[in-house]
Amino acid sequence: MSNPVAIVGVGQTGYRRAHKDKSSSDLIWESAKLALDDAGMTIDDVDVVVQGVAPDALSGEICGEKTAIIGAGKPHLRVNTGGVTGSSAAFSGASYVASGRARAALVVSLERMGQATSSQQVFNTIFDPVYEKDFPLTTITMAALRASMLMRMYGYTEEHWAKIASRNYRNALKNPLAHIHKDYSPQDVMDSPLLAWPIHRYEACPMSEGACAIVIADERSAQGRTPAWIQGMASTSDSYAMGDRIHRPEATLVDLLTLRMSAERAYADAGVTDPVHEINVIELYSPFSSAEAMTYPALGLCKAEDGPAFVDRQGVDPELPVFNPSGGPQAANPVSATALVRIAEAALQVRGRAGDRQVPGVRRALATGQGGATQFSTVCVLGAQRPPARS
Amino acid sequence: MAADQDLITDVTDVEPVEIPGRWDFAFTYFAGNAASRFFAEIRENRRVMGTRCPKCRRLLVPARSFCDACFERTTEWVPVSNEGTLETFTIITAAFPGLPEPPVVLAYVTLDGADTALVNVVTGVDCSDIDAAAARLFEQPRVRLSFVAEPQGRMTDFSFVLAD
Amino acid sequence: MTDLFIEGVALDASWRDRDRSLTDLIFDAVRAAIDDSGQPLEGIDSVVLAAHDLVDGRSLSSMVTAPAAAAYLRDEIRYGDDGAGAFAAAMTRLEAGHNRRTIVAGWGRASEHDVDAVSHGLFDPFFGRPVGLDELAVSALRAQAWIQRHGTAGRDAAWRRRRERAARNPRAVTQSGVQQSAPYPLRPEELPVWADFAVAVVMSTEPAGVKVAGMGQSSDPYHLGDRDLVGMPALVDAAGKALADAGAALSDVEVVELDALTGFDEALAVEALGLAEPGSAFGYLAEHDSVNPSGGCAAGYCAPAMGLARIVEATLQLRGTAGPVQQDAPRRALATGSSTIGSQTQTAIVLEAA
Repeated sequence: MSNPVAIVGVGQTGYRRAHKDKSSSDLIWESAKLALDDAGMTIDDVDVVVQGVAPDALSGEICGEKTAIIGAGKPHLRVNTGGVTGSSAAFSGASYVASGRARAALVVSLERMGQATSSQQVFNTIFDPVYEKDFPLTTITMAALRASMLMRMYGYTEEHWAKIASRNYRNALKNPLAHIHKDYSPQDVMDSPLLAWPIHRYEACPMSEGACAIVIADERSAQGRTPAWIQGMASTSDSYAMGDRIHRPEATLVDLLTLRMSAERAYADAGVTDPVHEINVIELYSPFSSAEAMTYPALGLCKAEDGPAFVDRQGVDPELPVFNPSGGPQAANPVSATALVRIAEAALQVRGRAGDRQVPGVRRALATGQGGATQFSTVCVLGAQRPPARS
Repeated sequence: MAADQDLITDVTDVEPVEIPGRWDFAFTYFAGNAASRFFAEIRENRRVMGTRCPKCRRLLVPARSFCDACFERTTEWVPVSNEGTLETFTIITAAFPGLPEPPVVLAYVTLDGADTALVNVVTGVDCSDIDAAAARLFEQPRVRLSFVAEPQGRMTDFSFVLAD
Repeated sequence: MTDLFIEGVALDASWRDRDRSLTDLIFDAVRAAIDDSGQPLEGIDSVVLAAHDLVDGRSLSSMVTAPAAAAYLRDEIRYGDDGAGAFAAAMTRLEAGHNRRTIVAGWGRASEHDVDAVSHGLFDPFFGRPVGLDELAVSALRAQAWIQRHGTAGRDAAWRRRRERAARNPRAVTQSGVQQSAPYPLRPEELPVWADFAVAVVMSTEPAGVKVAGMGQSSDPYHLGDRDLVGMPALVDAAGKALADAGAALSDVEVVELDALTGFDEALAVEALGLAEPGSAFGYLAEHDSVNPSGGCAAGYCAPAMGLARIVEATLQLRGTAGPVQQDAPRRALATGSSTIGSQTQTAIVLEAA
């Protein structure tokens, strides 16, 4: 018995390299206030607060989120699941509301990495200290190892990576909250410095700070508000060991088995059978172009071997969903918050409140989350139509 | 009651304070028996060992005490070849604080006999022309292990080198 | 609301067991809890974790550790906070119909990290860290506030009895691996016995020996100056909600497992909950084994696993399998878990023999 729940409020501080004029608690409070205002609610209408911060080391604060909007007797949860922290926090809030233990949940994710001097040095410390941390494994090299495998297996070229990145930057021009507002062409991306072959600087996400908040409400609280109903949500975890997945028969390292499993479950709950035609907008957690390419077959949008051709069809074939109207993580990557930003942006599209980046006539939108060693995958399907109560 | 001029209503007219900090915490990581044995085999016998899962029968390299897919303890210890196939790679070309000076070639390699791939650096690759080096590694060359002169019982005791 | 039951439990306490890595400790506890449940692995669809990056020395701990807790191809989530809070969150997932059978696991390995540095690092870099606050300092501030009102009579007898219980508990670690100096007015015997913990529970909607009858959660504001340090309002609120949820009164509870960093915090909690009159906690603790029959933090301590450890000890009491510390056939138990910073959030769980 899952009761219908909906996103009824969204608040974002906007994302930039550093918000030097605001403390962690200021940023949390600001996004939370914007979300509550958007919902037409006060903190008293909310019965649980869920916050996501990950990894702590990026901000140099361990419990920065505990300095704000906590107290007053409300249950408070602290979610930390790496890249999927934001979506995990949203799902956790949704569980409290769907269980009947809360009328509404306030979900906030703050990223404070502007306080870090080097993110890649911190990211090296997420790897296994026994077998792997001695090597320069980082988020960038982890993506590069996959990108070269995708090129070999499915025929992607550097042009494909550049086209994906360029489209994301172009979309971000219409999003005032985005961190990067640069109209990079595919050639600009390919001409940018090489970080780790085959990844160039403009294919990689920036280091961004900012907070994102949403309000999730039960059916009764959603009445009279503008809801984006959660039609399906699912989360799946994989093995940490990347080397164990290279020969895995059911799905290799670049086939995103866990995203596929999450999509299958979320689609089943949402009644989606033909995602290409039944989903209008897709907000992807794809901090690198190659990470975005891996999602297409996993989400059932094309076959793996047709991935490069699928990139070429985007923006040309009007049948396809619109990808990352916000600009996606390549235009702003506040790590802790990024997966929640995807859900928030998808909700704004469904609610018709996305401003200049609004895609016309959105009935259903999808948001993904991706974290760990391409290991944690979440899928959230949002729609204008209230889902039936399941028994 | 404060005089009017003491009432602060605007806090934006101030120099934001920045406090320097260091994120420096000491840890002692216990590798446990499985990894300790793995390292001892490298140090003493210059060989790489895997452990076999009794359920899925995969030979897991590097060795570990349990198979996370089957959630079973591994049982058997089996050595694998010092040669294998490069599966995927990257050439790190940009410098980051606290990380090794570029260029560095990082790769996953399946040593012959193993069911999983192992990450390490590939040494001795001519990186004067990155595109040429990438083209060479893209062909999935054969590689072999190269051990340091005085192994310490760490992953850095060996690296991969091109076999031919 | 859907009824929930505890099907399996495991508590693995040790100190500096160099034969096992952190993932080995986790695997051993989770494997033992699954075996204890008698359920096949295939029937478990989800994993809820409580682990802290800085305690684990891995900047995204669950990346490396979740697979050791059977997260492989399952719905998994991690809370970077106390295990009882994770248990409560797992309850909502089951009640909402999002999961059917869940592993809840939490751990902390004091022998791998610098407990004082981490405790200090928890505080913010602007107001807390510069003045030297850490978790023990908060406990000392609480203790001093209480002593000023009530004095210290009966203190020794209370701790003696608690240490005796811990010594009888076969699951306990009773010698702290970390030497700490006790900030005034705390005494060495009131400090936590630092240890390495991995704790796991299997919970589902299918009837089993122990029913999860109620849950309550609450929180205090961040700044210590904004709080009632002695009255512990978050704990009182959480316990009240949990009892109301279970349709029970405090007098119906026969065993209490309280999470507290120090013996003094345990005494304060006993009074805050209303088990003892103000000023009489030491006397109460010297006469009752029903509060922390396990020995509490004298039987081993490492956040963020402690709330889940309290739930496991309470479960064993209700099953009648607590061993030498078993109480006389209790039917209902209350377990609590508190989080950093200075017990800022509290979770209370009411369990019943089914």
